Amino acid sequence: MTRDEFERNKRRFGDDVDVWPAPFRQQALAFMAGETGASESAADASPQDDADRALDRLVLEAALVDSDEQALARKVLARIDAGRARPSFLPRFLLAPAGLAVCAAALLVAVTLAGYQLARLQDDLPDSELLALASGARLADDGVSGIGADPAAGEGSL
Amino acid sequence: MQHEEPREDDELLARVAAGNQGALSQLIARHGRGLRIFAARYLGNTGDAEDVVQEVFVTVWKQAARFDPARGRASTWLYRITANRCIDQRRRRALRAFIGLDDVGDSVPSEEADAETATAARQELAIVRDGLSRLPERQRTAVLLRAVADLDIAAIAEVMGGSAGSAEQLLVRGRRALRDHLRDHLAMAATGRERKSS
Repeated sequence: MTRDEFERNKRRFGDDVDVWPAPFRQQALAFMAGETGASESAADASPQDDADRALDRLVLEAALVDSDEQALARKVLARIDAGRARPSFLPRFLLAPAGLAVCAAALLVAVTLAGYQLARLQDDLPDSELLALASGARLADDGVSGIGADPAAGEGSL
Repeated sequence: MQHEEPREDDELLARVAAGNQGALSQLIARHGRGLRIFAARYLGNTGDAEDVVQEVFVTVWKQAARFDPARGRASTWLYRITANRCIDQRRRRALRAFIGLDDVGDSVPSEEADAETATAARQELAIVRDGLSRLPERQRTAVLLRAVADLDIAAIAEVMGGSAGSAEQLLVRGRRALRDHLRDHLAMAATGRERKSS
Protein backbone atom coordinates (compact mmCIF):
# COMPACT_ATOMS: atom_id res chain seq x y z
CA MET A 1 0.00 0.00 0.00
CA THR A 2 1.35 3.41 -0.95
CA ARG A 3 0.95 6.63 1.03
CA ASP A 4 -1.61 7.86 -1.54
CA GLU A 5 -3.69 4.69 -1.22
CA PHE A 6 -3.51 4.91 2.55
CA GLU A 7 -4.76 8.51 2.56
CA ARG A 8 -7.50 7.68 0.05
CA ASN A 9 -8.70 4.78 2.20
CA LYS A 10 -8.57 7.01 5.26
CA ARG A 11 -11.05 9.33 3.57
CA ARG A 12 -13.25 6.35 2.62
CA PHE A 13 -13.26 4.44 5.90
CA GLY A 14 -12.27 6.96 8.56
CA ASP A 15 -9.22 7.63 10.72
CA ASP A 16 -9.47 4.50 12.87
CA VAL A 17 -7.67 1.82 10.86
CA ASP A 18 -8.82 -0.91 13.24
CA VAL A 19 -12.38 -0.60 11.99
CA TRP A 20 -11.54 -0.64 8.28
CA PRO A 21 -12.84 -3.68 6.38
CA ALA A 22 -10.46 -6.50 5.44
CA PRO A 23 -8.14 -6.62 3.56
CA PHE A 24 -7.69 -2.82 3.65
CA ARG A 25 -7.16 -3.06 7.42
CA GLN A 26 -4.27 -5.54 7.29
CA GLN A 27 -2.61 -3.63 4.46
CA ALA A 28 -2.93 -0.35 6.34
CA LEU A 29 -1.51 -1.86 9.54
CA ALA A 30 1.43 -3.28 7.61
CA PHE A 31 1.96 0.08 5.93
CA MET A 32 1.89 1.92 9.26
CA ALA A 33 4.29 -0.59 10.80
CA GLY A 34 6.64 -0.07 7.86
CA GLU A 35 6.37 3.71 8.16
CA THR A 36 7.18 3.78 11.83
CA GLY A 37 9.60 0.87 11.72
CA ALA A 38 7.68 -0.67 14.59
CA SER A 39 6.65 -4.28 14.83
CA GLU A 40 2.96 -4.96 14.56
CA SER A 41 3.13 -7.72 17.08
CA ALA A 42 1.98 -7.15 20.58
CA ALA A 43 4.53 -7.30 23.36
CA ASP A 44 3.15 -10.59 24.67
CA ALA A 45 3.02 -12.27 21.25
CA SER A 46 4.97 -15.50 20.93
CA PRO A 47 7.52 -16.09 18.14
CA GLN A 48 5.01 -18.49 16.58
CA ASP A 49 2.37 -15.72 16.52
CA ASP A 50 4.86 -13.43 14.82
CA ALA A 51 5.73 -16.10 12.27
CA ASP A 52 2.02 -16.74 11.60
CA ARG A 53 1.34 -13.01 11.16
CA ALA A 54 4.29 -12.68 8.81
CA LEU A 55 3.01 -15.60 6.74
CA ASP A 56 -0.53 -14.13 6.71
CA ARG A 57 0.87 -10.84 5.38
CA LEU A 58 2.82 -12.72 2.73
CA VAL A 59 -0.25 -14.73 1.71
CA LEU A 60 -2.35 -11.57 1.45
CA GLU A 61 0.29 -9.83 -0.64
CA ALA A 62 0.59 -12.87 -2.90
CA ALA A 63 -3.19 -13.22 -3.20
CA LEU A 64 -3.90 -9.64 -4.28
CA VAL A 65 -5.65 -9.21 -7.62
CA ASP A 66 -6.79 -6.05 -9.34
CA SER A 67 -10.33 -5.07 -8.52
CA ASP A 68 -12.65 -2.20 -9.34
CA GLU A 69 -15.43 -1.97 -6.77
CA GLN A 70 -17.32 0.70 -8.71
CA ALA A 71 -17.46 -1.47 -11.82
CA LEU A 72 -18.49 -4.41 -9.65
CA ALA A 73 -21.31 -2.36 -8.09
CA ARG A 74 -22.54 -1.32 -11.55
CA LYS A 75 -22.59 -4.93 -12.74
CA VAL A 76 -24.39 -6.15 -9.62
CA LEU A 77 -27.04 -3.42 -9.87
CA ALA A 78 -27.48 -4.20 -13.58
CA ARG A 79 -28.05 -7.87 -12.73
CA ILE A 80 -30.57 -6.92 -10.06
CA ASP A 81 -32.42 -4.66 -12.51
CA ALA A 82 -32.33 -7.35 -15.20
CA GLY A 83 -33.76 -9.85 -12.72
CA ARG A 84 -36.61 -7.48 -11.93
CA ALA A 85 -37.34 -6.81 -15.59
CA ARG A 86 -37.44 -10.50 -16.49
CA PRO A 87 -39.66 -12.32 -14.02
CA SER A 88 -39.27 -16.05 -14.07
CA PHE A 89 -42.14 -18.18 -15.34
CA LEU A 90 -41.20 -20.91 -12.89
CA PRO A 91 -42.11 -20.54 -9.24
CA ARG A 92 -39.04 -19.51 -7.22
CA PHE A 93 -39.34 -22.70 -5.13
CA LEU A 94 -38.65 -24.84 -8.20
CA LEU A 95 -35.41 -22.98 -8.93
CA ALA A 96 -34.03 -23.53 -5.45
CA PRO A 97 -31.91 -26.64 -4.77
CA ALA A 98 -34.64 -28.03 -2.49
CA GLY A 99 -37.23 -27.55 -5.22
CA LEU A 100 -35.03 -29.26 -7.79
CA ALA A 101 -34.47 -32.16 -5.37
CA VAL A 102 -38.22 -32.56 -4.80
CA CYS A 103 -38.86 -32.50 -8.57
CA ALA A 104 -36.13 -35.09 -9.13
CA ALA A 105 -37.58 -37.33 -6.39
CA ALA A 106 -41.11 -37.03 -7.82
CA LEU A 107 -39.80 -37.87 -11.29
CA LEU A 108 -37.96 -40.90 -9.92
CA VAL A 109 -41.10 -42.20 -8.16
CA ALA A 110 -43.18 -41.64 -11.32
CA VAL A 111 -40.66 -43.48 -13.52
CA THR A 112 -40.45 -46.36 -11.00
CA LEU A 113 -44.24 -46.74 -10.89
CA ALA A 114 -44.46 -46.59 -14.67
CA GLY A 115 -41.75 -49.26 -14.90
CA TYR A 116 -43.65 -51.55 -12.52
CA GLN A 117 -46.86 -51.07 -14.50
CA LEU A 118 -45.14 -51.85 -17.78
CA ALA A 119 -43.42 -54.92 -16.36
CA ARG A 120 -46.69 -56.17 -14.89
CA LEU A 121 -48.44 -55.90 -18.24
CA GLN A 122 -45.67 -57.86 -19.94
CA ASP A 123 -45.44 -60.57 -17.28
CA ASP A 124 -49.18 -60.97 -16.79
CA LEU A 125 -49.64 -64.45 -18.27
CA PRO A 126 -53.15 -65.39 -19.33
CA ASP A 127 -54.89 -67.99 -17.19
CA SER A 128 -54.80 -70.53 -20.02
CA GLU A 129 -50.99 -70.30 -20.16
CA LEU A 130 -50.74 -70.77 -16.42
CA LEU A 131 -52.97 -73.85 -16.62
CA ALA A 132 -50.84 -75.23 -19.42
CA LEU A 133 -47.74 -74.65 -17.38
CA ALA A 134 -49.28 -76.41 -14.39
CA SER A 135 -50.35 -79.38 -16.44
CA GLY A 136 -46.98 -79.76 -18.13
CA ALA A 137 -48.22 -78.96 -21.62
CA ARG A 138 -45.90 -77.23 -24.04
CA LEU A 139 -46.72 -73.67 -24.93
CA ALA A 140 -47.11 -72.93 -28.59
CA ASP A 141 -44.72 -70.45 -30.12
CA ASP A 142 -47.51 -67.98 -30.61
CA GLY A 143 -48.19 -68.04 -26.93
CA VAL A 144 -51.45 -69.96 -27.34
CA SER A 145 -51.71 -72.75 -24.84
CA GLY A 146 -51.85 -76.32 -25.91
CA ILE A 147 -54.38 -77.04 -23.18
CA GLY A 148 -57.17 -76.78 -25.72
CA ALA A 149 -55.96 -79.99 -27.35
CA ASP A 150 -56.23 -83.23 -25.46
CA PRO A 151 -52.78 -84.22 -24.19
CA ALA A 152 -53.89 -87.81 -24.07
CA ALA A 153 -54.33 -87.79 -27.84
CA GLY A 154 -50.62 -87.38 -28.25
CA GLU A 155 -49.88 -90.19 -25.80
CA GLY A 156 -52.20 -92.55 -27.62
CA SER A 157 -50.42 -92.12 -30.85
CA LEU A 158 -47.22 -93.63 -29.44
CA MET B 1 -6.44 -11.48 16.77
CA GLN B 2 -10.06 -10.42 16.98
CA HIS B 3 -10.86 -7.06 15.43
CA GLU B 4 -13.89 -5.19 16.65
CA GLU B 5 -15.75 -4.82 13.36
CA PRO B 6 -17.95 -1.78 13.12
CA ARG B 7 -21.67 -2.18 13.21
CA GLU B 8 -21.64 -0.08 10.04
CA ASP B 9 -21.97 -3.28 8.03
CA ASP B 10 -25.03 -4.30 10.07
CA GLU B 11 -26.64 -0.95 9.37
CA LEU B 12 -25.80 -1.22 5.69
CA LEU B 13 -27.36 -4.68 5.54
CA ALA B 14 -30.49 -3.39 7.28
CA ARG B 15 -30.74 -0.64 4.65
CA VAL B 16 -30.14 -3.16 1.86
CA ALA B 17 -32.97 -5.28 3.29
CA ALA B 18 -35.18 -2.20 3.04
CA GLY B 19 -34.35 -1.93 -0.67
CA ASN B 20 -31.66 0.76 -0.60
CA GLN B 21 -29.32 0.26 -3.58
CA GLY B 22 -26.92 2.94 -2.33
CA ALA B 23 -26.32 0.86 0.78
CA LEU B 24 -25.55 -2.16 -1.40
CA SER B 25 -23.00 -0.09 -3.34
CA GLN B 26 -21.37 0.92 -0.05
CA LEU B 27 -21.25 -2.70 1.06
CA ILE B 28 -19.60 -3.61 -2.25
CA ALA B 29 -17.07 -0.79 -1.78
CA ARG B 30 -16.20 -2.18 1.66
CA HIS B 31 -16.13 -5.91 0.98
CA GLY B 32 -16.06 -6.41 -2.80
CA ARG B 33 -12.28 -6.38 -2.95
CA GLY B 34 -11.75 -8.91 -0.16
CA LEU B 35 -14.40 -11.27 -1.50
CA ARG B 36 -12.95 -11.07 -5.00
CA ILE B 37 -9.42 -11.84 -3.79
CA PHE B 38 -10.71 -14.77 -1.75
CA ALA B 39 -12.77 -16.17 -4.65
CA ALA B 40 -9.98 -15.66 -7.20
CA ARG B 41 -7.43 -17.54 -5.11
CA TYR B 42 -9.91 -20.21 -4.06
CA LEU B 43 -11.02 -20.87 -7.64
CA GLY B 44 -7.73 -20.03 -9.34
CA ASN B 45 -9.67 -18.12 -11.99
CA THR B 46 -10.48 -14.39 -11.97
CA GLY B 47 -13.36 -14.68 -14.45
CA ASP B 48 -15.16 -17.23 -12.29
CA ALA B 49 -14.35 -15.14 -9.21
CA GLU B 50 -15.98 -12.09 -10.77
CA ASP B 51 -19.15 -14.09 -11.51
CA VAL B 52 -19.19 -15.55 -8.02
CA VAL B 53 -18.83 -12.17 -6.30
CA GLN B 54 -21.59 -10.67 -8.45
CA GLU B 55 -23.83 -13.62 -7.50
CA VAL B 56 -22.95 -13.11 -3.85
CA PHE B 57 -24.08 -9.48 -3.86
CA VAL B 58 -27.26 -10.32 -5.80
CA THR B 59 -27.95 -12.92 -3.08
CA VAL B 60 -27.22 -10.31 -0.41
CA TRP B 61 -29.70 -7.97 -2.11
CA LYS B 62 -32.40 -10.66 -2.03
CA GLN B 63 -31.67 -12.12 1.39
CA ALA B 64 -30.30 -9.26 3.48
CA ALA B 65 -33.35 -9.52 5.73
CA ARG B 66 -32.19 -12.99 6.76
CA PHE B 67 -28.99 -11.66 8.30
CA ASP B 68 -29.20 -11.63 12.07
CA PRO B 69 -26.51 -9.43 13.71
CA ALA B 70 -27.02 -11.30 16.98
CA ARG B 71 -25.76 -14.51 15.40
CA GLY B 72 -22.52 -13.22 13.91
CA ARG B 73 -20.64 -10.55 12.06
CA ALA B 74 -21.70 -9.30 8.66
CA SER B 75 -18.29 -10.07 7.15
CA THR B 76 -18.54 -13.69 8.34
CA TRP B 77 -21.96 -13.96 6.69
CA LEU B 78 -20.62 -12.50 3.42
CA TYR B 79 -17.64 -14.85 3.35
CA ARG B 80 -19.87 -17.80 4.14
CA ILE B 81 -22.08 -17.04 1.14
CA THR B 82 -18.96 -16.58 -1.01
CA ALA B 83 -17.37 -19.84 0.13
CA ASN B 84 -20.59 -21.73 -0.67
CA ARG B 85 -20.84 -20.09 -4.10
CA CYS B 86 -17.19 -20.95 -4.76
CA ILE B 87 -17.86 -24.61 -3.93
CA ASP B 88 -20.87 -24.59 -6.31
CA GLN B 89 -18.77 -22.93 -9.03
CA ARG B 90 -15.97 -25.45 -8.55
CA ARG B 91 -18.47 -28.33 -8.93
CA ARG B 92 -20.05 -26.78 -12.03
CA ARG B 93 -16.63 -26.33 -13.60
CA ALA B 94 -15.61 -29.90 -12.74
CA LEU B 95 -18.84 -31.21 -14.29
CA ARG B 96 -18.35 -29.12 -17.44
CA ALA B 97 -14.76 -30.32 -17.68
CA PHE B 98 -15.92 -33.93 -17.19
CA ILE B 99 -18.40 -33.74 -20.06
CA GLY B 100 -15.90 -31.88 -22.22
CA LEU B 101 -17.49 -28.43 -22.27
CA ASP B 102 -14.61 -26.72 -20.47
CA ASP B 103 -10.89 -27.08 -20.27
CA VAL B 104 -9.62 -27.49 -16.75
CA GLY B 105 -6.98 -24.76 -16.94
CA ASP B 106 -7.01 -22.32 -14.08
CA SER B 107 -5.70 -18.84 -14.49
CA VAL B 108 -5.24 -15.80 -12.34
CA PRO B 109 -3.36 -13.32 -14.48
CA SER B 110 -1.16 -10.96 -12.58
CA GLU B 111 1.73 -8.71 -13.24
CA GLU B 112 4.28 -11.27 -12.16
CA ALA B 113 3.87 -13.38 -15.28
CA ASP B 114 6.74 -11.91 -17.24
CA ALA B 115 8.72 -10.31 -14.45
CA GLU B 116 8.43 -13.15 -12.00
CA THR B 117 12.09 -13.58 -11.43
CA ALA B 118 12.95 -9.90 -11.51
CA THR B 119 13.36 -9.68 -7.77
CA ALA B 120 13.63 -12.10 -4.94
CA ALA B 121 10.54 -10.59 -3.33
CA ARG B 122 8.42 -11.20 -6.41
CA GLN B 123 9.78 -14.69 -6.65
CA GLU B 124 8.77 -15.30 -3.06
CA LEU B 125 5.22 -14.12 -3.80
CA ALA B 126 5.06 -16.34 -6.87
CA ILE B 127 6.12 -19.32 -4.77
CA VAL B 128 3.43 -18.51 -2.19
CA ARG B 129 0.80 -18.30 -4.96
CA ASP B 130 1.98 -21.64 -6.31
CA GLY B 131 1.92 -23.13 -2.82
CA LEU B 132 -1.59 -21.80 -2.23
CA SER B 133 -2.87 -23.36 -5.43
CA ARG B 134 -1.43 -26.73 -4.40
CA LEU B 135 -3.00 -26.80 -0.93
CA PRO B 136 -5.98 -29.10 -0.35
CA GLU B 137 -9.17 -27.11 -0.84
CA ARG B 138 -10.20 -26.85 2.81
CA GLN B 139 -6.71 -25.91 3.99
CA ARG B 140 -6.56 -23.24 1.29
CA THR B 141 -9.95 -21.92 2.38
CA ALA B 142 -8.83 -21.66 6.01
CA VAL B 143 -5.54 -19.95 5.11
CA LEU B 144 -7.29 -17.45 2.81
CA LEU B 145 -10.04 -16.69 5.32
CA ARG B 146 -7.36 -15.90 7.88
CA ALA B 147 -5.04 -13.87 5.67
CA VAL B 148 -7.48 -12.12 3.33
CA ALA B 149 -10.66 -11.84 5.39
CA ASP B 150 -8.80 -11.49 8.71
CA LEU B 151 -11.27 -13.85 10.37
CA ASP B 152 -10.49 -15.51 13.69
CA ILE B 153 -10.75 -19.27 14.27
CA ALA B 154 -14.39 -19.15 15.42
CA ALA B 155 -15.43 -17.18 12.35
CA ILE B 156 -13.44 -19.46 10.01
CA ALA B 157 -15.22 -22.44 11.58
CA GLU B 158 -18.58 -20.71 11.05
CA VAL B 159 -17.81 -19.98 7.40
CA MET B 160 -16.61 -23.52 6.75
CA GLY B 161 -19.40 -25.16 8.72
CA GLY B 162 -17.21 -27.08 11.17
CA SER B 163 -15.89 -26.94 14.69
CA ALA B 164 -13.30 -24.45 15.89
CA GLY B 165 -10.89 -27.34 16.50
CA SER B 166 -11.08 -28.61 12.94
CA ALA B 167 -10.73 -25.07 11.56
CA GLU B 168 -7.61 -24.57 13.65
CA GLN B 169 -6.19 -27.89 12.45
CA LEU B 170 -6.80 -26.90 8.83
CA LEU B 171 -5.12 -23.55 9.38
CA VAL B 172 -2.10 -25.07 11.13
CA ARG B 173 -1.64 -27.71 8.42
CA GLY B 174 -2.12 -25.20 5.63
CA ARG B 175 0.41 -22.80 7.08
CA ARG B 176 2.90 -25.62 7.66
CA ALA B 177 2.53 -26.87 4.08
CA LEU B 178 2.98 -23.33 2.74
CA ARG B 179 6.10 -22.78 4.83
CA ASP B 180 7.58 -26.09 3.64
CA HIS B 181 6.77 -25.22 0.02
CA LEU B 182 8.32 -21.77 0.40
CA ARG B 183 11.46 -23.09 2.09
CA ASP B 184 12.01 -25.84 -0.50
CA HIS B 185 11.48 -23.58 -3.50
CA LEU B 186 13.53 -20.69 -2.15
CA ALA B 187 16.38 -23.14 -1.51
CA MET B 188 16.05 -24.46 -5.07
CA ALA B 189 16.01 -20.92 -6.46
CA ALA B 190 19.12 -20.00 -4.45
CA THR B 191 20.93 -23.09 -5.73
CA GLY B 192 19.97 -22.18 -9.29
CA ARG B 193 21.30 -18.64 -8.88
CA GLU B 194 24.57 -19.93 -7.43
CA ARG B 195 25.03 -22.29 -10.37
CA LYS B 196 24.34 -19.49 -12.84
CA SER B 197 26.80 -17.13 -11.21
CA SER B 198 29.54 -19.80 -11.05
